Amino acid sequence: MSNLHEHEIKKPKVDLNYSSDKKPVHSDPSPEAKPLPKVTIDGKAYEFKPGDTIMQVAERYKIHEEIPRYCYHPGMPIAGTCRMCTVEVEKAPKLMTSCSTPAGDGMIVHTRSEKVLKSRTGVMEFLLTNHPLDCPVCDKAGECELQDYNFEYGPALSNFKEEKRVYDDATTKKLSNDVTLNMNRCVHCERCVRFTDDVTKTNDLVMVNRGWHKELEATTEAGLTNEYQGCLTDFCPVGALTWNDFRFKKRSWFLSKKPSLCDGCSKGCNIEVHSDADIVYRYVPIHNEMVNGHWMCDSGRNSYHSYMNPLRVTSPLMKHNGELHATSIETLLTEVKAQLKNASTVQIVIGTDATREEAALLKEKVPALIGKNVAVSYFNGTNGVTTAADDKKLDNLLKMKDLTPNTRGVEEQGLAALANGEISADVVIYFRSGRAGIPKMKADQKIILWGVWSLEEIKSLPSKNILAVIAGHATIEKAGSYKNADGIVQKFHPAIVHRGGALSAHQVVGVWQSLT
Amino acid sequence: MKTAAEYVEQVLTKHVNEPNCHTLDFYVKNEKGYEALRKALTMKPSDIVDEVKKSNLRGRGGAGFPTGMKWSFMPAKPVDANGNSKPKYMVCNADEGEPGTFKDRLLMTKTPHKMIEGMIIACHAIESNKGFIYIRGEFHKEIRIVQKAIDEAKAAGFLGKNIMGTGFDCEMIIYKGAGAYICGEETALLNSLEGKRGEPRLKPPFPAQVGAYGMPSCVNNVETFAAVPYIINEGAEKYASFGIEKAGGTRLYCVSGHVNKPGVYELPMTMTLREVIEVAGGVRTGHTIKAVIPGGASCPMLRADEIDVKMDYDSLAKAGTMSGSGGVIVLDETVNIVEAVYVLLKFYEHESCGQCTQCREGSHWLARMFKRILDGGGNTDDLDYVAKICGNMAGQTICAFADAVTGPALSSVKKFRSEFEDLIRNGGLHPDKSMASSHAKEGAHV
Repeated sequence: MSNLHEHEIKKPKVDLNYSSDKKPVHSDPSPEAKPLPKVTIDGKAYEFKPGDTIMQVAERYKIHEEIPRYCYHPGMPIAGTCRMCTVEVEKAPKLMTSCSTPAGDGMIVHTRSEKVLKSRTGVMEFLLTNHPLDCPVCDKAGECELQDYNFEYGPALSNFKEEKRVYDDATTKKLSNDVTLNMNRCVHCERCVRFTDDVTKTNDLVMVNRGWHKELEATTEAGLTNEYQGCLTDFCPVGALTWNDFRFKKRSWFLSKKPSLCDGCSKGCNIEVHSDADIVYRYVPIHNEMVNGHWMCDSGRNSYHSYMNPLRVTSPLMKHNGELHATSIETLLTEVKAQLKNASTVQIVIGTDATREEAALLKEKVPALIGKNVAVSYFNGTNGVTTAADDKKLDNLLKMKDLTPNTRGVEEQGLAALANGEISADVVIYFRSGRAGIPKMKADQKIILWGVWSLEEIKSLPSKNILAVIAGHATIEKAGSYKNADGIVQKFHPAIVHRGGALSAHQVVGVWQSLT
Repeated sequence: MKTAAEYVEQVLTKHVNEPNCHTLDFYVKNEKGYEALRKALTMKPSDIVDEVKKSNLRGRGGAGFPTGMKWSFMPAKPVDANGNSKPKYMVCNADEGEPGTFKDRLLMTKTPHKMIEGMIIACHAIESNKGFIYIRGEFHKEIRIVQKAIDEAKAAGFLGKNIMGTGFDCEMIIYKGAGAYICGEETALLNSLEGKRGEPRLKPPFPAQVGAYGMPSCVNNVETFAAVPYIINEGAEKYASFGIEKAGGTRLYCVSGHVNKPGVYELPMTMTLREVIEVAGGVRTGHTIKAVIPGGASCPMLRADEIDVKMDYDSLAKAGTMSGSGGVIVLDETVNIVEAVYVLLKFYEHESCGQCTQCREGSHWLARMFKRILDGGGNTDDLDYVAKICGNMAGQTICAFADAVTGPALSSVKKFRSEFEDLIRNGGLHPDKSMASSHAKEGAHV
């Protein structure tokens, strides 16, 4: 085999189906334009782009809920193996998998004919023969495609009387510190294998053995090494791959799900915040073709912990007798005003994790309130990034070097970056919502901290002269907008209600104004 | 009782019993070796394809697709997205794994040059310069012999650069399989050839568009290639005359099981299954036929009263079974059908690649169910359920493996229902009557 020519061993290029942001298409109305082909699905004609599969046409027109699927995922190459998405195509002798069959002009497709439903019932029965049905202790219960589709298509009773397949160590196998594999629950859709092969390109996972004892294993002893492991647990249709951080924490049906943005880096991945009683249990990515596709990285996924940190400062703190004590915002601002009045120089530093609105507020309103010449600059301080020009992609997918969400949005305000990354004025107000770094400072530097801070962070500051801490809202608790690495401005609304004593920047400025 | 040679000219197996029949010298001296190649290289590729079409040669691997037509599907001048021309490949499927089939193995050990010559001609016909021979991994001896034959042919100038001064280059590479039955399926074979998991691919695209290494490829069986030199030498009409209207030539039947003279027999396709069994010495003396599997384990079985069926592709299809790969397995009255089918199902359970849900879970389910019936835990509902499981499996998957599983399972329940009912009533198979126990007594591992 050594004398294969170079061009022969090239892998056939698999085009990732990233154009999965499917929207209805319309023929060009001009008379000379060729009309788009049409496919009839369940009695209704739909226009489509040549090359679409039946499933993709269904996705364009949001009728894909009619077509159940396990192996198909719009962000991955097509496998066509679960056989759940079969539909009846008129004039075709067999049922066709809608995920892999290209739609044709004039094709007539039935997604719910008797033959199709019978086939789906068959697939469901086969999948359930070896499934442990341990839903009461399974984390996926409630959002499990096996449950959902079985409810819709499955047989009422199973005739499987044999012993179920049991894998060794099925319930305790860790693929990494973050992901647990329960092979007994697996439906062998191999989304996970295709994800590591074609999306992260890390080839972490492989199916070993054949047939019914086919088993998912990590390719190396190190286990999963990619930084998007959480996605495996998102798209696993059953509870085979579960995210250790969420495991046994909450039943999925208690979660309230609100959209928001991940502020872990300058990418601004679109997320859904899953919370119950305003306690966040996890972030999951939501599909946005222009930003993050279907995915998000693990560090972003874990970043909610810093906002749920019990040591996070959630009420105004003021220095009294050398120690920080909780107080009211009015008392605090009165004291701050006095300190600022006496200060010879005042500096405002805005972390690049402030929203565009907060940055504008701090730049325009706060200096007027202080009533003297105030230097305003911005500070990033993550991963050695100073300005947006230092930012770059860290891998082929999503991760960015800049670990704050809004460097570009803050720069828009026409501010300068903090010189040398060092604060120098007599009194400094540093606003940050938990993501920007810590600037260099002197040990007796007088600082007023504003935004999201934890007691550990405050303790570890070089300066021991913290005058006050104005507790603020985190991204998931506030409304605003960020400008991401690709220059896309994304607005967001509060995903949870802040239950502590922290106030939004606008509220604080409002109180401050009322004092004058 | 006539011998096979009295029925038809032995196109493929005339000399297989003679010493040194696998060598190039023997082949050139006694079998007009490489003369067909010399002739073919003077012909236009399209003329060769037409000649093979005229011979009515149909694929001998099991599906019986007309070979000439398959070759004509190959694109003439394939180009990639950038407009560069792409190579085309010829692939020989020598992954003979169908239980009850052992004809390719005979051809490879006894007349490897016939296959190689046929393959070079085929390469010329589809204008390809490279052939891959995918040989089953367990065939150590065959791999050795075929490799030696390739070396011989290369040394003699029948392979390599500028063959016989015609300017045609052809190279042949042996690839050793890793022991999976499913790699006999052509797209799984191509995946395995590329070093991937041996799992069948979604079709379309068919191998003629996207085959080995993403290039247009044509996959044919060993026996198909071996028939090509004769067609070129003696003419398509003569070869076609051995067969019937839609299927020309002779076929190799691998007769095994309870017959007096098991082995490979080259016979015309006009014979009935009963006649084929007679040529192999008939059912073993003192016994009667209970069931016959006519074309390898995947084919639905026939009862003793159904074996007067003609052995061509269409007649067998009409009888509800398949001509398959020509593996005739004869079972006499000592066999318990349930146990025999269980052995096959255990094989299928083990060999399913596990991609498609129905096949992965269904083959496992059927095997377990048959085992339970054998062990005495069955009930009559199970028999109705076999039909339901098979109905949910057949025709629903990427490749034909699931259909192959349902072949023996469904036909056995349909045709030998009373045997199942006996086992259910009597609490399973008595150990004394079990094949497994009689093998165990002889020290065989089952």
